[in-house]
Amino acid sequence: MKKFLALLLTAMLILSLAACGGGNNDPAPSQPSPAPSTGSPDAPADVPAASELEPVTLKMWFHGSTVTPEASAKVLETLNPVLQEKLNVTLEPIWGTWGDFDDSVVTALAGGDDVDIYFTCNWSPNEYNRYARDGYWVKLDDLLPTCGAELMSAIPDEIWECAQTNGYDGMGTYAVPGLKDTATQYCWDVNGTLLAELGYNVDEVCAAGLDYYSDDFEALLKAAKDAKGDSFYPLLIEAVVLERMGTTTAIVTGDLGNSNILSYYYDAEHPSKDLGSTVVNKYATPEFQKFVERTYYLAQKGYIAPSSQNEATANDYRTATSLSGDYLINTQSYAFGCELDYSSARKIDVRMVPADAPYMDATSGQGAMMAISATSKNPERALMFLNLLNTDPEIMTLLNYGVEGYTYNKNSDGSITFIDENRANYTPWTNGMGNVRILPPTDAQGLDFWDRFTAYYNSAEKLPMGGFVFDASAYEQEAAAIANVYAEYGFNLMSGAVDPAKALPDFLSKLESAGIDRIISGAQEQLAAYLG
Amino acid sequence: MSKNKKNLRLTSVSAGAETVMHIILGLFALGCVIPFLFVVIISFSSEESIRTIGYSFVPQEWSLETYQYAFEKLPQIWRSFFNSIFITVVGTVLSTAMCALYSYALYRPDFKFRNFFTFFSFFTMIFSGGLVPTYIISKQLLGLSENYAALIVPLLVSPFNIIVMRTFFKSSVPMELIEAATVDGSGEYSTLLRVVAPIAKPGIATIALLNALAYWNDWFQALLYLRQNKALQPLQALLMELQKNVEYLNRMAGQLGTAAIMESTKVPTQTLRMALVVLLVVPIACAYPFFQRYIVAGLTIGSVKG
Repeated sequence: MKKFLALLLTAMLILSLAACGGGNNDPAPSQPSPAPSTGSPDAPADVPAASELEPVTLKMWFHGSTVTPEASAKVLETLNPVLQEKLNVTLEPIWGTWGDFDDSVVTALAGGDDVDIYFTCNWSPNEYNRYARDGYWVKLDDLLPTCGAELMSAIPDEIWECAQTNGYDGMGTYAVPGLKDTATQYCWDVNGTLLAELGYNVDEVCAAGLDYYSDDFEALLKAAKDAKGDSFYPLLIEAVVLERMGTTTAIVTGDLGNSNILSYYYDAEHPSKDLGSTVVNKYATPEFQKFVERTYYLAQKGYIAPSSQNEATANDYRTATSLSGDYLINTQSYAFGCELDYSSARKIDVRMVPADAPYMDATSGQGAMMAISATSKNPERALMFLNLLNTDPEIMTLLNYGVEGYTYNKNSDGSITFIDENRANYTPWTNGMGNVRILPPTDAQGLDFWDRFTAYYNSAEKLPMGGFVFDASAYEQEAAAIANVYAEYGFNLMSGAVDPAKALPDFLSKLESAGIDRIISGAQEQLAAYLG
Repeated sequence: MSKNKKNLRLTSVSAGAETVMHIILGLFALGCVIPFLFVVIISFSSEESIRTIGYSFVPQEWSLETYQYAFEKLPQIWRSFFNSIFITVVGTVLSTAMCALYSYALYRPDFKFRNFFTFFSFFTMIFSGGLVPTYIISKQLLGLSENYAALIVPLLVSPFNIIVMRTFFKSSVPMELIEAATVDGSGEYSTLLRVVAPIAKPGIATIALLNALAYWNDWFQALLYLRQNKALQPLQALLMELQKNVEYLNRMAGQLGTAAIMESTKVPTQTLRMALVVLLVVPIACAYPFFQRYIVAGLTIGSVKG
């Protein structure tokens, strides 16, 4: 008996050790991925009528929702009969919130949950390109012509191009990109109320534009500081955004997370102008040096709050101070129409002064997408549903804004007015859902809002690097070393907390020994290959 | 009388040492109490006061608004309150019963597979399956998702508690007592319930408290296993979600841009978070006096002598 027991225990020990050796403790994508069930063995030749389709239930996972169980049930009561009539589909939404999405979605993916459609993008933990590479998403190229014909034409080609990635089944589209704020533009967010108080002509100042390096810029900050006293910090910054504004660089998608080290320079006035399409080491450029010197100078003058220079407090401070309006100039990644929202939330006159022209790249194109999970039993139907959601205003409005008479009322002119009390309980993340341009305008937005919205984003120029996505998987060691160096210097330099005369050379030499050059040249090669 | 004297000698120290001890312990106690007191004060401060002077022990203005808002506008709070209590009560009863029964068997020297089952539970303390395998087994094999069971079953057995409890049995229930009961004609069940259980009360109460705390404080099971049926969320999970929402939106402001900032104006304010903490702490704090008389005895006997 004892012998048997000993043998059994030894066997268990060995087995468990083997399991531990695999490093299976985290839900990272090193997990053996579920076999992708791509291809469509019996894809319908033509889209058949709903009655000919098998009834299926689709589970769809959203991000950033504020939806109570009752409100969800109430909306689904109206939505599902319509869906059944059109596609014979019953939708079961999973209302992921901002806070729980990160933790639970990676577990669900690694655990092979029976979810059909996942929200994904290039900034969430279920990062689109990486999960496509590891085989979690169904490749859509073969399915799109049969199950998503309208979808293909509803979304512009440039956006589809951004969704192209080198995935498990080769280069292709692995998710449906959302047609939302698809361009990036950086603006100085100016507190017009304060500016007028200081005796400036707000329209004039804003029309003239703001140059971070000019004396006028400094004069504005000085006037505010003098008027409001020592404890007032006129320049409210988000360090990484300020850096992009100060140097006119774009993020290269697929870069090393928040410590992005690759930079791609573009022309501020005409982003599509070809400047040679090179990826460079951001920190070694004269532009970056000029930027950190300027920021340090402004910080020394007392224009930047110490809380903004401390990584632990910077985010909270920025959110709180933005909301209370205690700033003169703020940094902002622009979204169309946001100055109206801000003005009403902050109770000041918020003006947006562009620092560059809007541009489109993979980062903005991949900002919110819907991918079909490889574990889905009905990928065709899931795609047909996405097709309908992105092209049928009725479905999109139901899912995004709720039910008429419950969350909103229709006005005679075609706009809608939210019933705030119920809308507060049913607020999915509007931009995270797909094609927002087929939604009805709200009375606050004005009737022609979506036309202006579309015009604005369509005017965005494409960066010469197009939908390039950097594949960093071969450089994991360097990336880890660089992340450490970055944590020591990056934020402090960009927020003006340390003197660049000393810190910048140290930073550069440490980056070099961490192997940054290998990554830069690798990225350059990949970009050259991408551009052909 | 002589016994009293002996006790005095054992516990008394010089006046100086006693003063130092009192000061140290007093400071420690203050360190524990003040933060909570601060949370209570903030939850009763007006939002306006926080905006102008920040967190303060003496707010400009007191207000009950937060609590009013919480109970009127957030129906989920009532439900979560009920869920927390339900899960804690059911979970504590079940897990304490399982723990006591399991460790009683391990304690009995005449149980043949004693060593194997000790190791069987002990082993999981050293090697755990990891998050994803646990998740797959719980969800796909056991069907633990979107129900109360998903919040109760994963925490039912704690090897640590079993070992504490076994040691407790060993040190406080003499084997002779069980033999005597058997000689007197008591069956196994009546021995356990009438002879052993009353003696083991302090140990059982301690384990019950630990379990109650674990259930009351748990939010992770809800995060993993509740996606669609959020009505079952316990209070702790609700608080965690609000907290994480705020953190996330602040952290992601760069990537999300305006969406994040607009959202962050919507999520509940600082006072609401503090009010939730108060709602969370008060009920479980009320459970302490109930268990208190057993805790000291239970912990010292259970772990030190073992």
